[in-house]
Amino acid sequence: MRPQNYRPVAHPPSHEYELYFGPNHPGIEGNYAIRVRLKGDVIQEAIADGGYLHRGFEKIMESRLWIQNVALVPRICVPDPVPMEDSYARSVEALGGLEVPERAQWIRVLMLEVSRICAHLFTFGGNAATIGLYTNMFWGVSMRDLFLDIFEEITGARIYHMYITPGGVRRDLPPGILDKLSAVIDELERRAPEFDDLFFDSTVVMNRAAGCGTMTQEQALSWGVTGPNLRACGLPFDLRRDDPYLVYPELDFDIPTETAGDALARMRVRKAEVQQSIRILRQVIARLPSVKGPIRCPLPNPLAWNVPAGEAYARAESSKGELGFFVVSNGGDKPWRVHVRGPSQMHAVQVLENLLTGARIEDIAQIMFSLDACPPEVDR
Amino acid sequence: MSDTTPVIPDQPEVCRTVDAEERGVWRRVMDRFADHCRARSLFVLHYCTGCGAIELPPTITSRFDMERVGVSPMVTPRQADILLITGYLSVKTLKRVILSYEQMQSPKYVLGFGSCTINGGMYWNSYATVKRLDQYIPADGFIAGCMPRPEAVQQVFLDLMKKIDAGQANAWQDYYLNYDRYLGNQMALFGEEWHTPVDVIAEAEHYGYVGDGTRGRFTEILDRHAAYALRDAPEDYPERGANERLLP
Repeated sequence: MRPQNYRPVAHPPSHEYELYFGPNHPGIEGNYAIRVRLKGDVIQEAIADGGYLHRGFEKIMESRLWIQNVALVPRICVPDPVPMEDSYARSVEALGGLEVPERAQWIRVLMLEVSRICAHLFTFGGNAATIGLYTNMFWGVSMRDLFLDIFEEITGARIYHMYITPGGVRRDLPPGILDKLSAVIDELERRAPEFDDLFFDSTVVMNRAAGCGTMTQEQALSWGVTGPNLRACGLPFDLRRDDPYLVYPELDFDIPTETAGDALARMRVRKAEVQQSIRILRQVIARLPSVKGPIRCPLPNPLAWNVPAGEAYARAESSKGELGFFVVSNGGDKPWRVHVRGPSQMHAVQVLENLLTGARIEDIAQIMFSLDACPPEVDR
Repeated sequence: MSDTTPVIPDQPEVCRTVDAEERGVWRRVMDRFADHCRARSLFVLHYCTGCGAIELPPTITSRFDMERVGVSPMVTPRQADILLITGYLSVKTLKRVILSYEQMQSPKYVLGFGSCTINGGMYWNSYATVKRLDQYIPADGFIAGCMPRPEAVQQVFLDLMKKIDAGQANAWQDYYLNYDRYLGNQMALFGEEWHTPVDVIAEAEHYGYVGDGTRGRFTEILDRHAAYALRDAPEDYPERGANERLLP
């Protein structure tokens, strides 16, 4: 049976040809494929072909206990797992009526912002590599590794932390971690001008990224674009301010925007967001020692925890855009239905297909990376 | 006019047949020497099949620097030595993995990265993923854990080098010797229409690794596919659906 949006590729005329871009193409982000129809090197039509990373998360989550799903959710989006844990935890807390202690909320904000910086550095490196600037990739990845060490010290894992549980966080911060974090942040700020020299002021980037993959604000809104990609079109929409959660209302930060809506503008927004995240982290580091109290509210026996019936939707501003968990409980020990609203689903399918049409073949990788689409989260 | 009739050889010359004498002592000495050299220069196919791909950039780049032990990424399967399966495999990805694997030149090595390749790991009850990698392609080594650290990735490369140097990394021969079993497992998953462009049996004959398990009831189905490709389909050949495109 064909899916509803199935579009067969018509047999191309002789001056056009079809190219299957991916899934083990080095220019593509993750395990993802695009079927493109080309005339010369100009793309006439692009059809996203995902499904390589489908694991059936929403179905698996129905067969695991509420607490077991804590281990499952970060695996949905690999480069930026913390917002997944946080959104799932907040939706379960809304169902179960749990109050998160204040200290846990501050720790969660710390984790979220460090994760945002990690994801942006990774995208920055990948985006630079797609236009041949491999030094940036090496720098971005090595810079991100310093933050992964912080994660490792807090949670015990570099990538999948499973640290944020419904009701709070798993354990308190280790002693001295805030000093280490501020040293890493200082290092990142110290190196920021070098990144500028190498990437944002580079002639290659100006020539390749400016005007590449442009969308207007109306298009972005009608295609369901969120996050930095939407802010690069000039709309200052950020869930941390417009639908605040945790302790974000107490924090002071700006929402950077650009107006061009192209690949360069998207990367500039990410760069500015990293600076804002550093600003948030400095406030958290200053505030956290004075916030005392428990890190987790008392939970019932997690192996026999029946969450009250109802439905809840919790959303967060992840590094890719709006991320939401819609969780339905029928009063049992497992979720009855879970739906994940991932930002990359829109960015990698409908937005990518539209932006690629009319672009040139060498810009496919750049457009995909500048949208910061995360294939594991597209397919789930 | 028998002169104008084109001469069609009975057996198309796919590849040269290896003499039995070539496998003598000298050949074995040369193989050992080649193994010794081969272990020092390995290329990993750049194919991010799952979440494990997130730990490869740190492994490749400055901090852990895989290249200093002689391992480097390679973009095309035909020039790669190692197929690193980074994490879970969905059924759709497994098809591409097998296509990539069969395009690689022997000797080739497969490494499973993460618990998902060993027993399904976190996705043990998922309807979409493959639970055991070594049922479909032979693997030389595994890394347990989710997610394994870059040091673990380096360690498995070092172990593989030792095995290659000692002439023990021979899982690729198992694919030729027991092709029928692997093909049967693949067909159980993808259906009987599954076939790849690579003639594995001809390769097995070329390398001299034809065993009892090379041909069997599943490779007989492949012969029927070959006949179908030559517009000479048997009567009972299954009808192919309009939307069935096994290859991209």
